[in-house]
Amino acid sequence: MNDLVCVQADDFSLSDEYQRLRNINGQVGAIVTFCGLVRDFESSAGEPKSKKLVNYLTLQHYPGMTETLLDDIVMQAKARWDLVAVTVIHRIGNLAPNDQIVFVGVASEHRKEAFDAAQFLMDYLKTKATFWKKLTGEGAEQWLDAKSSDSDAAAKWSEDSHD
Amino acid sequence: MINLLFFGRLGDLAKDAPTCIASLEPDTTPLGIRQMMKADHPELSKALSEPQVLVSVNKMIVKWDEPLFEGDELAFLPPVTGG
Repeated sequence: MNDLVCVQADDFSLSDEYQRLRNINGQVGAIVTFCGLVRDFESSAGEPKSKKLVNYLTLQHYPGMTETLLDDIVMQAKARWDLVAVTVIHRIGNLAPNDQIVFVGVASEHRKEAFDAAQFLMDYLKTKATFWKKLTGEGAEQWLDAKSSDSDAAAKWSEDSHD
Repeated sequence: MINLLFFGRLGDLAKDAPTCIASLEPDTTPLGIRQMMKADHPELSKALSEPQVLVSVNKMIVKWDEPLFEGDELAFLPPVTGG
């Protein structure tokens, strides 16, 4: 099994994850990696133009369900593109600005599959995996709202024809 | 018994709500449980009625009229915001 799906409190190393994908086998000709970080300012609910200072984000998830959903998203990507290996790592708990939240890495023979699959994995992860973010900043807590731009991005993959 | 889980903002609204339903009436559904909350937890019940809220039984997304069975784990899921 070349794929890795992990929900963890610990940080991850981009270099270690890249090397894991690189060394899977001799068919790997392209690797695309994506890393999401915590921003220091976030838009508040219903006011996209006003930004709130972030002291930290708390990432909550539904243990057991999240892993199953992430496995399913990886399987969908592998059914859609010819991929050698996929890594998805998502952190939980309290994360400060500039901390790494999420890693997606895709290894394939050619670059197009890796680019497209990485985008697909992030779009699906953001709209389907059971994670919730709470912002703590300026002495207040607030759960972040889902963004319609994320659901639009995910919906686009079901309209697109298969490559 | 049915265990109830509330995630994200629903968890904050459900602080005083029951965490389980001890005795299950036949043909109980997630919708029925939501309606049961109305009297004692009106704010939670209103939040659960928002169209984006999903329900899962035993970690699988189901419809609101799915019948529930003894031992089920019922979770209320607001729109996800990971990544």
